Amino acid sequence: MRLIRFLFAFLPLAGLVWALSVPLKAGDKTLPALGRFFSPFSGFWQNAEPANGRNAVPLQAKLPALKGPVEVVWDDMMVPHIFAGDPNDAAMVQGYIHASHRLFQMDIVSRQTAGRLSEVIGPRTLEADRLIRRRGLPWAVERNMKSLQQSPRTMQLLEAYAAGVNAYIDQLNPATLPLEYKLMNFEPEHWSPERTLFVVANMIDALNNRDNDLAATNSLAVFGRDTFNYLYPSWNAKQTPIIPDTGQWADIQPLVRPETVSGQTAPGSAPPERSELSPNRDLNGSNNWAVAGSRTRSGAPILCNDTHLPLRLPHVWYVQQIQTPQFNSYGIVVPGVPLMAIGFNNDMAWGFTNCSHEVADWYRLQWTDGGKTTYLLDGQPRKAELRVEEIRVKGAPAVRDTVRYTDWGPVVYDQPDHPLHDCAYRYVAHDPMKPESLYEFLNISSARNYDDYRKAIPGLEALSQNVAFASRNGAIALTVQGKFPVRQNGQGRFVQDGTAWANNWAGYIPASQLPAMRNPSRGFVYSANQHSTPPTYPYYYLGNFDHSRGRRIYQRLENMRDITIDSMKSIQLDNYSQRAADGLHALLRRVKREQLNDSEKKWLSALEQWDARYQPDQIAPSLFEMWFDSTYFHTWDEMENLRRQKTAVLYPEHWRFCELLESDSASVFFDELSTPQREEAGDIVTAGFHKMAARAEKMPSDSLQWHTFKGFVIKHLAMLDAFSRLDVSVGGSRNSPNAISTNHGPTWRMIVEMGAPIRALGVYPGGQSGNPGSRYYDNFVDAWARGDYFDLVFLSQSDEQNPRILARQTFTPGS
Amino acid sequence: MKNFILTFITVLAGGLLGYWGVPWWSLVPVGLAAGWLIRNTPARGFAAGFLAGFLLWGIWAFALDHANEGILSARIGMLFQGLGNWMLILITALLGGLVAGFAVLSGSLGYDLAFPPKKGPYARRRRRR
Repeated sequence: MRLIRFLFAFLPLAGLVWALSVPLKAGDKTLPALGRFFSPFSGFWQNAEPANGRNAVPLQAKLPALKGPVEVVWDDMMVPHIFAGDPNDAAMVQGYIHASHRLFQMDIVSRQTAGRLSEVIGPRTLEADRLIRRRGLPWAVERNMKSLQQSPRTMQLLEAYAAGVNAYIDQLNPATLPLEYKLMNFEPEHWSPERTLFVVANMIDALNNRDNDLAATNSLAVFGRDTFNYLYPSWNAKQTPIIPDTGQWADIQPLVRPETVSGQTAPGSAPPERSELSPNRDLNGSNNWAVAGSRTRSGAPILCNDTHLPLRLPHVWYVQQIQTPQFNSYGIVVPGVPLMAIGFNNDMAWGFTNCSHEVADWYRLQWTDGGKTTYLLDGQPRKAELRVEEIRVKGAPAVRDTVRYTDWGPVVYDQPDHPLHDCAYRYVAHDPMKPESLYEFLNISSARNYDDYRKAIPGLEALSQNVAFASRNGAIALTVQGKFPVRQNGQGRFVQDGTAWANNWAGYIPASQLPAMRNPSRGFVYSANQHSTPPTYPYYYLGNFDHSRGRRIYQRLENMRDITIDSMKSIQLDNYSQRAADGLHALLRRVKREQLNDSEKKWLSALEQWDARYQPDQIAPSLFEMWFDSTYFHTWDEMENLRRQKTAVLYPEHWRFCELLESDSASVFFDELSTPQREEAGDIVTAGFHKMAARAEKMPSDSLQWHTFKGFVIKHLAMLDAFSRLDVSVGGSRNSPNAISTNHGPTWRMIVEMGAPIRALGVYPGGQSGNPGSRYYDNFVDAWARGDYFDLVFLSQSDEQNPRILARQTFTPGS
Repeated sequence: MKNFILTFITVLAGGLLGYWGVPWWSLVPVGLAAGWLIRNTPARGFAAGFLAGFLLWGIWAFALDHANEGILSARIGMLFQGLGNWMLILITALLGGLVAGFAVLSGSLGYDLAFPPKKGPYARRRRRR
């Protein structure tokens, strides 16, 4: 009897403890064990940071390996201002601070590029891990490590940073562990210089990894050379290139070799995604410009930059100020890397946009044996090197994957049904960095003039960027910086023949011949991912260029005098789209009004009155997008049919489509394949209008408003809706200077007036802390969405008094 | 009543060790020990343990949530089908209460099992030893 009574108590206890101790499963995701997660002493409650900001500042103030004390001042944006006597000390404190605010993000980003997500997440990331490894990124990082090890000062810097991160990791306990670790049930791993390089490689890859070689090859084979050139011209006459031709290239004798193009189709087994083939998909782009004092009210140059990347929480950038005896600079960094990416110092400001050149090519191999161990090169058999990737998987056995490396690069796809499965991948990010590159780029923080700036930026290596510059002494400049292959004319557009070494790139364009301009008479420099140069530039290059933002920004800047910071804001926040203006003009010109009924005419008049600005509460932008899209895909039914037959082909660019609507409305491509009669542009445009109207009729008017239609979200890094912001309403479009699309947009809006004193503004859609339990997690989001900016606090010394200072602390050596 | 309070305080103090990094399930050995050593009727033992666990976890969670102005509990609530912060605090408190309550009860009945009371199994009042 007593036993039964005892069991009535003990069994529920045992059951409860068991139920609270096992990780729960929800689909393919695991949830944490509830006991530990709910315990107010160790679980999620511990990550609920006091909203008064007290715990937002990391408390530990001792770092044994420091050479001297380091002062850190925190301002009300939760921006650290680090004052160190030595660059390595500054790096170590950065490591500690980055980790204290962004450890999970650093960990995941570095794991992602290392192909090591499955270790902590499980089988559902296995394919992503496999692909990034097969694309050779970890291999390239290994090679970079070897190279950097020849530069002791670089290694000291990276080691110091890692020591700072690890000091933070080592003082963590189950209660203070960042929330995501508690949720996803793993623990942070120690940092190392190599992991910093993985974060660098992630950024390079995000900006460089794009090519249309396969689709272009198929298009050429299907349509023939003439039609190919008709559909896919690379130069848009309306384009305003970054660097105009002023005769500066007359002396360059580039390497020119005959064109070699292979044009066999490469059908795949699965229909390619339409979005993958459209050249109009979201691009990781940016805007930057600098205006000379001659155009500004204050007489001081102004530099502006807004970088367009996927929007995530925690945010991609971290804002900080670093002062050492060598430099005093303020700007943004990628957590995981102790180098200021974009910013300003006492003498100059600099900013980036992506060059968007294509720097990845495919070479079709000819294997000489069934086991694919040797391939033919210049008539000789060459042995492929085998590299075995071992991918550890949480909750499953490790997976071993063999990758063949050729003289060109790795063979990425091993599935026989993949159209690129016997192709080697030549990627600029594979080439090892020079040993001093990172250190060279660190020096941009101490650049005082144009020469210093030009010396520092080659350190960017494979991260090809349009780097704008403005200095306090009045100079402005823009340099197209990057490793751009010296190509044969047309080389790289198509899958190439991998049996002849002559098809290799002939090195990189020398730095002195890269497009650049300094103090132009027009009084401004700018870039927005458009072509670097007009076609008169002697080197051939190709890429995915933007045709909308650059033209708009050029018009705005050209017509602007007496420029103030507010007029600069008005360009960064400009919702006007040149693409929409051109598209709307063409569509309205071709639509057959007599075929529209009365309710359709209502939509038409809304569009006729539209000024091509993507304002959040308007419905015209949504109508235009639907109309343009349905007309576009209806016109390119030829491509759609091929796609269904599993052949990837290119879709023409939007600007070319508009051009054809305007000037070649009888083109055979406007004829619909599935009908007996012959259509012309007007018929397709009108059919597109009917489709749009039918869709719009069915939608409630509030979901037609642009901000709802666009469906803007800022997702958490691990895609957890609970830690995302799904309630933000914004205007803009990917082709507006204010380039906000569904989940992509300006990640750092910066305006710096290089006067005395310097006035700098900035904002990003996130917050300094990566902790979803912190009020500093997303506290800039609403200001960013409203188009507000923060005045940036740029301190000249650590004991400077400023009402916006929140806290001061000192990191000291010793244990 | 004295033993009720003693049990309550013991569990509360033991549970508070969590603050110094002792795992959450330390409520179990603490509760078992309290039930074993401090004589109470089963109902009272359970109530004392439950109350201690409930209040300790609930108030601790409430205090953290309050200082946080509910920022995190709003997000965690979304993770669990849209629970509000009060619901999360209540769940936290209940978990603490149930674990501690059943642990005290098991300790107390375990003692009875090991050392049967002389006056028979259904004695209403029992004294220590």
